[in-house]
Amino acid sequence: MKCPDNIVLYMHEYLDEEIEDQDEQLLKKHLQTCPKCQSYFHELEKAIALVQSTSHIQAPSNFTENVMARLPKEKRRVGVNR
Amino acid sequence: MEALIKKRIKQVLKGDQSAYGEIVEIYKDKVFQLCFRILGNRHEAEDMAQEAFIRGYVNISSFNIDLKFSTWLYRIATNLCIDRIRKKKPDYYLDAEVSGTDGLTMYSQIASDTILPEDEIESLELQETIQREITKLPEKYRSVIVLKYIEELSLNEISEILDIPLGTVKTRIHRGREALRHQLRNV
Repeated sequence: MKCPDNIVLYMHEYLDEEIEDQDEQLLKKHLQTCPKCQSYFHELEKAIALVQSTSHIQAPSNFTENVMARLPKEKRRVGVNR
Repeated sequence: MEALIKKRIKQVLKGDQSAYGEIVEIYKDKVFQLCFRILGNRHEAEDMAQEAFIRGYVNISSFNIDLKFSTWLYRIATNLCIDRIRKKKPDYYLDAEVSGTDGLTMYSQIASDTILPEDEIESLELQETIQREITKLPEKYRSVIVLKYIEELSLNEISEILDIPLGTVKTRIHRGREALRHQLRNV
């Protein structure tokens, strides 16, 4: 079976939640019948899920102190004498 | 949150440097994470994140108080990281494309120096693999993918941060996703 033109574009538009209703219908209908496009779409979804699964990391300890110590000095005096 | 930030910015503008410390505390993890995911290296990420906050401080008077501070700050940080990637290339000859790959560079050959807490050690290998694949992306795709999928920002905000049209953001996200699909399908 021939895949519709723009089917990959529709996949991306779907992933960006910017797909037109009629294109979404076409995409869903096609994915139900085409294993090749189905696996392509799953690979896209998997790539996104993996990137999103990277753990949230924190700044190193003393980060703020290190930044504050490096700020231009002339203004720091004002803060201390507040 | 934005109201608190604006209050602190006004204090900084009046010369109260310690108010800036609170701003750094609020955004340090987000900014560090952004830099780390783009650069793939903790040491460089710390340098760039610190530099972003220092530049933010020095240029605070040019920040338009009616706009979102995080957008402005992320823009400074992203630009610093992109400059860093571009400068680094010729020094280490990392820009040679690997034959048989599509736009990938020798960055892929370099392990990141990620150190994660012990409770995450079980997924360390997977985390490193994913980060390595993100770092393999060409810089223009890497920044949009990190902003969208790690910082979870809207396409409009990404367009503001990178100062590129919305259509360009979409195209880069599509291409970045295609590259990641290819790179991560056997993970």
